[in-house]
Amino acid sequence: MSAPSASPSPPPLPPRAPALSPEQTLRRLFLTLFLRGRGARGLKKEKAPKSVGSKLAWSLVLYALFGCMALVFVGQPLFALSTYLHAMTLMFVGMFVASSSGEVLFNKEEADILLHRPVTPRSLLWAKISVLVQVSLWLACAFNLAGLIAGIFARDGGWLFPVAHLFSTVLEALFCTSCVVLVYQLCLRWFGRERLDGLMTTAQVVMTIGVVLAGQVVPQVMTRMRGKMELSQDTWWVWLLPPAWFSGIDDAIAGGGSRIAWTLAGVGMLVTALVVWTAFGKLANDYGAGLQTLNETSGASRKRRAGRRWLDRLVQLPPLSWWLRDSVSRATFLLVAAYLVRDRDVKLRVYPGLAPMLVMPFIFLLQGRGGGNIFGVAFAGTYLGMVPLLGIEMLQYSQQWQAADIFRSAPLPGPAPLNRGLRRAVLVMLTLPVLILYGSVAWLFGGKISNMALLLPGLIAIPVYMIIPCLRGEAVPLWQPADEAKSAGRGVRMIGFLISSMALTGLTVWAWSTGWFHWLLLVEAVVVASLYSVLRSIAARAQWKPLD
Amino acid sequence: MISLHQLTKRFGSQTAVDSLSFEIPGGQIVGFLGPNGAGKSTTLKMLTGMIEPSEGTATICGLDLRRDTLEVKRIIGFVPESGAVFESLTGLEYLEMVAALYAIPPESARERIRQFIAFFDLSFETLTDKLLGAYSKGMRRKVVITAALLHNPPVVFFDEPLDGLDANAAVGFKALIQTLAREGRTIVYSSHILDVVERVCDRVIIIDKGRLIVDGKPDELVASHNAGSLERLFTQLTGGAELERRAEDFAKTFRS
Repeated sequence: MSAPSASPSPPPLPPRAPALSPEQTLRRLFLTLFLRGRGARGLKKEKAPKSVGSKLAWSLVLYALFGCMALVFVGQPLFALSTYLHAMTLMFVGMFVASSSGEVLFNKEEADILLHRPVTPRSLLWAKISVLVQVSLWLACAFNLAGLIAGIFARDGGWLFPVAHLFSTVLEALFCTSCVVLVYQLCLRWFGRERLDGLMTTAQVVMTIGVVLAGQVVPQVMTRMRGKMELSQDTWWVWLLPPAWFSGIDDAIAGGGSRIAWTLAGVGMLVTALVVWTAFGKLANDYGAGLQTLNETSGASRKRRAGRRWLDRLVQLPPLSWWLRDSVSRATFLLVAAYLVRDRDVKLRVYPGLAPMLVMPFIFLLQGRGGGNIFGVAFAGTYLGMVPLLGIEMLQYSQQWQAADIFRSAPLPGPAPLNRGLRRAVLVMLTLPVLILYGSVAWLFGGKISNMALLLPGLIAIPVYMIIPCLRGEAVPLWQPADEAKSAGRGVRMIGFLISSMALTGLTVWAWSTGWFHWLLLVEAVVVASLYSVLRSIAARAQWKPLD
Repeated sequence: MISLHQLTKRFGSQTAVDSLSFEIPGGQIVGFLGPNGAGKSTTLKMLTGMIEPSEGTATICGLDLRRDTLEVKRIIGFVPESGAVFESLTGLEYLEMVAALYAIPPESARERIRQFIAFFDLSFETLTDKLLGAYSKGMRRKVVITAALLHNPPVVFFDEPLDGLDANAAVGFKALIQTLAREGRTIVYSSHILDVVERVCDRVIIIDKGRLIVDGKPDELVASHNAGSLERLFTQLTGGAELERRAEDFAKTFRS
């Protein structure tokens, strides 16, 4: 190494893009980080965008395909089409913003990189928000593509509709993003800096679960209410629905242009302006304070220490103490349980990820309420097998994935003892609460206590479902980078398990109605026991998955 | 250049930095020392505008830290202990991003980056093609140091800058900060490697439990406390004198 002045002639650097202002630089930075993911394991630059960028491209294609459903509105009133498009857009954008905003807005590592640079909290906030709005708009435009055409051919539509709808969609994306940011800002203002991290996590988990549940439940509700409720601007409750405000813009510009449509449009624009002003103008300084808080280090709170003691006591009590006699399994159990309770990244992945799994059985249960509801209870039971499976899949990812190298340096012959601890933690911390919830709802809406036996085929299959991810040595807690959590391969596996659970549901219903149910349980128990013992011996011999 | 008056930081009921006051003139290299949890990193984070002081004032080059935060940030460089970088950018992308935040003209930024590549023996291909996530710890540290000096700041704060650097890079780095100080820049150097501090720094400030314990020239402090070396002085002042006995007790645990 030599002093800078005496350096040999360094090689020329590749041509550079024109100079950017600090604001433009921040926007470009956050968009790049969003598209590439924050923790890159890839060695080369050209490999990096595969993490989020290519997934986003696929998502856009899927959204565009899903948006084709709007074509059924051809010839229908423009306001109905527009409300449908805005309702679905609000849901999709809401899901995206709620799940992404925590990481984008409050990233701890970012403080050490950016907070000592000459940038204001307001410009940081604007840069991040503009990226969120930009990506939201990509999603919204992909979904609304077919709707733009449908609007031209709607009953009172026309060529102005695409222009009006694009404008209202931009406004809606801004409204949705601002609402999420406003929730964070208000949390900061009302509950104080000290509780920020915990609040952010809770707010984000609740928002994401809420949006996911709404996304699953609303279409069902709309289907059930078809014919009972007329969607018209004269209905009083339309004024309470944000999608109706933005539909008002479409209708005012490109449709009938009634006085009510103009008023709805005015409400939409006014509310959006108010939310944007409050979130970015009035409360921007709170954002700077929040970033600083994340950067401050203070001792563990009393509550946290109490949480750890609670977990420690839990594993020392029977039956867990009998079940977790092996020290490695016990330590893994405690590690996973602690992350499920405390870690923001893990909580944001696991709980919203499980939410859609919980909705379907409940919908089936509620649809058949009062009549014994055999299918609903059986489906709830077989769906239970998916909960631990999904839990194990999602708990492999963490922002602290590098710390999991300690497992490989420990004197363990392979990942099997870690797999055991992970499986047991998932059973106790995720599956058991869901089972209790399913059982209670099934009992409440199923009507007959004897129908609870229908849960058994699903429960019996759980050990096999859980051991499958352990066969290739992958079911190690927290060992993969968080950005790799969304993989197409995992989606295909889940569809496979979904089909098998549907088949099991069908078999259960058939056996129940034909009187073969007891035989089904017996045969299934024997098959599962045999399969489990074979799979377990394979899992016990699994080797460490090679690191990239 | 740097002036602290009763600077204090509290986290709830815990006082991390307690009424710290001192002044550092231009062209000085000051070793800022203290045991773990003494409040060094918190002080540096306050002086770089990353966190707000609870009480007290500080000025850097005459600029008030609270009132002129943005201006202060323009004239300081900081190498944080964490060495955090955006891992999904290449080294070049990262440095260009930092240069743009300080509004350095692209051509000047390129020229300075080229010089730092040569100085740190960084591979050109690595800087342009590899993402920072794939860099070794030492390479990443070199990029972070480069990012701190890119805008030619008159005041630079280093928090454990040698962490991860190999022996050659460390020697070069020490020569670099001495050159920077000779040119009139103020260097605040926080480290646990005390022999380096003793050799490089003109002055040493030791804090413990957030309070200033001693402030002076290393050789004078060592002589006045009859310590023999800075390391010995440090352990005397910060309660580390019993470390040998504690090490013996610790080793006994494994014998029994």
